[in-house]
Amino acid sequence: MFSTGNSMAVGNDILDIGTQKYEQRQQQVSAGSGSMCPSAIQFGEPGAFDVPNVADPAAFCRANFASASGNKDANQAIKFAKGTTTLAFKFNGGIIVSVDSRSTMGAYIASGTVKKVIEINPFLLGTMAGGAADCSFWERNLGTQCRMYELRNKKRISVAAASKLLANTTNAYRGYGLSMGTMITGWDETGPQLYYVDNDGTRLKGNMFAVGSGSTYAYGILDTFYRKDLTIEEAIDLGKRAIYHATHRDAYSGGINNLYHVTKEGWTKIHAIDVNEMHYEFAEEKKNAMQST
Amino acid sequence: MASYLSAANAVQARNGQLALPIHTSEGGAMIPVSLGANNDCHADDIDHGVTRATYERGFSPYEFNGGTTLAISGPDYAVVAADTRLSSGYEILSRNVTKLHALTDKCVLGSAGCKTDVDQLRSVLDIKMKIYAHNHRKPMSTPSVAQMLGNTLYYKRFFPYYAFNVLAGVDSEGKGAVYSYDAIGSFERTPFSASGSGQSFLIPLMDNVIAHKNRLDEKRDLPSEEVVEIVKDAFVTAGERDIYTGDAVEIMVITKDGLTTETFKLKAD
Repeated sequence: MFSTGNSMAVGNDILDIGTQKYEQRQQQVSAGSGSMCPSAIQFGEPGAFDVPNVADPAAFCRANFASASGNKDANQAIKFAKGTTTLAFKFNGGIIVSVDSRSTMGAYIASGTVKKVIEINPFLLGTMAGGAADCSFWERNLGTQCRMYELRNKKRISVAAASKLLANTTNAYRGYGLSMGTMITGWDETGPQLYYVDNDGTRLKGNMFAVGSGSTYAYGILDTFYRKDLTIEEAIDLGKRAIYHATHRDAYSGGINNLYHVTKEGWTKIHAIDVNEMHYEFAEEKKNAMQST
Repeated sequence: MASYLSAANAVQARNGQLALPIHTSEGGAMIPVSLGANNDCHADDIDHGVTRATYERGFSPYEFNGGTTLAISGPDYAVVAADTRLSSGYEILSRNVTKLHALTDKCVLGSAGCKTDVDQLRSVLDIKMKIYAHNHRKPMSTPSVAQMLGNTLYYKRFFPYYAFNVLAGVDSEGKGAVYSYDAIGSFERTPFSASGSGQSFLIPLMDNVIAHKNRLDEKRDLPSEEVVEIVKDAFVTAGERDIYTGDAVEIMVITKDGLTTETFKLKAD
């Protein structure tokens, strides 16, 4: 039976058990073609994301649906929730991951209690900076992929591979206005690892990263006081201070400092302290230091 | 006119001015024409300058239909409320359209934004929940609905649903659960949530009264009846300052025993 494109002749598909329609469907998988049934009502795996049916979907999405950081989405009709100062650094005792918890939509603080550290599995952590929905969706998707890897290969995935999976995803949607600045960190067979993955598809291995609108303030503190041989208490204190200073000066950061420590046994959450309380704690400290000199 | 040349030939001189006779369903007309002798000849002159006239162009798939929703969670209940006004620009299209939708008897979705996107989102969610109930032989629990709604919104990341949602319900332990969303599915479980045009008027009030911020008196657990009264006062306030909020507020209280609804009239101005 030869299929003649859109054969709408009456009676033509009475004998069809679905093959012809199936084949026609398979041909129409171009993104933005608009001719396919919206994937919103296909209940299996979403094969492709719906994109607007315009000549240049990437440019349209970038212009109208970007979850850009700072104020770049000020003229968009829909503003998305964005997150902002996260940092992580490696030292002799493992890795410290320290984040704030503020989420903003334009100039409105949508939430002061966002969880910006995503627990992918007991040995892998991902941080969230940039578009909140982008980060949480793709990192959850990464968790699924990591679990599939474990089931197929009977061993835990390495941090390098996990970060590569995420970088491949962001590369595929490059130019569409996704905003994600995330750090994938964990402890695998090769030791503690820290990778930075970006919405451009950038993937960098490193010892210390700070990401988000408050990152420059955090770098100031980190670069000044960081040493490889910090003790665990000193490292926790450094992570805490760096976030405090970033939230103090950056309007888009604030809320609660969530701090995690990654060791060979996996990650543990160390504390969740309101940065407002830290302000008074450090003020006290400064006063005492001034008085003793 | 088949070509510029034939059009040029059809132009006649009337009253010392070049004009083109046209025939429309309402009779004949003479349109003034300039044929490029002066410098005001443009590439789009074939349509007699219509495209250079200033009028509204461009199609936007989104429209804001107004409205406000509010949800508050308690130790064993959740209260969700939304006004019933549907607007478009400065017009009120209806005073009696609901923004609340019960997905299960333990879970209600309130959405403000663009009504057609909200309706489509609800249809999609209803279908997915029916499939889940068939596959798992039980209705979906509220935290699962929350995650599914987040994913459903994100699958339209590149052409979002213009819907600002709050999800309220009781979880499997019977505790109140409220989730707030942004347009593309970033969500979080919170003690309370408001969305829509009156969001900025309600949230500060909730921060003070429900979350007890900036207060010196002792915080106490509120019974659901008191929360319902607070919600009514909140909507009266929002209705005073927001043009898109008013007419009536529909309040639903969700407990592990089910759902109750109440409608409270607001000012219709």
